Amino acid sequence: MSAPVGTCDERELVERSQAGDRLAFEELVRRHADRLYAVVLRFVADAGEAEEITQEAFLRAWRSIDRFELRSRFFTWLYRIGINEAKRRAERRPSPGTVGSIEDSPIEEAPDWSDAPEFRAEQGQLRGVLEDAVRALPLEYRAPLILRDVEGLSTQEAAEVMELGEAAFKSRLHRARLAVRRAVDHYYLEAER
Amino acid sequence: MIRRLLERRRYMREHRWTHGHLSDYLDDDLSPEERERVEDHVSICPHCRRVLRTLRRTLESLMGLSAEPRPSVADGVIERLRGER
Repeated sequence: MSAPVGTCDERELVERSQAGDRLAFEELVRRHADRLYAVVLRFVADAGEAEEITQEAFLRAWRSIDRFELRSRFFTWLYRIGINEAKRRAERRPSPGTVGSIEDSPIEEAPDWSDAPEFRAEQGQLRGVLEDAVRALPLEYRAPLILRDVEGLSTQEAAEVMELGEAAFKSRLHRARLAVRRAVDHYYLEAER
Repeated sequence: MIRRLLERRRYMREHRWTHGHLSDYLDDDLSPEERERVEDHVSICPHCRRVLRTLRRTLESLMGLSAEPRPSVADGVIERLRGER
């Protein structure tokens, strides 16, 4: 008799799913759906679309679970499916954040705000500045930053999701970070004026 | 004169290299020698020092963006999966 799905590790759940056990796959859904949704929401316009893409990603994963190779983590494969779908949809709706160049050089005259007591992400206005800066990044830069810095994946995991070599991934991540940092420079410079 | 020019060239080379490796430094992804190289330059370059400090604060704050409460979407996914049967 099989162990209850709630007590299985991810590898067991994937193997059972590959053997056609839907309850095992549903357990994978319970473990990963909220995080995938949160990632996808940063690529699309609204919560409804993010939920739809999340559902679609799991359906695709279920249909092709037998092709998944256990060399990598299940969630990196799942994130790739979800992000690719989100990118496809975002690219159909051109916006400042989907194409174009990235501005990442520091603003020379900006103050050093690293010790500013109000610099806390949970504070409304600055949180908004960061959210807007992330959303303004072109998709190829936004994804590395979200996966690595917001969702907390390791560099290796995030690079795997993006199907990039580690050097290329790190280069994009660095430029994305500098661009977001620059937006805060801009915010403080405006605040000083 | 030539010595000053050479020093300036070396400074600019270190400046570019450091600027390109600040993320690696913060991610603790450099060898001890490379870390020292960053720290040596940052100690004499106010520009890179400011970028490093503010970049560190930026990363700390980005982590805070993930703390939003999220609705559970698993039920909707499972419902669609069951509809596939």
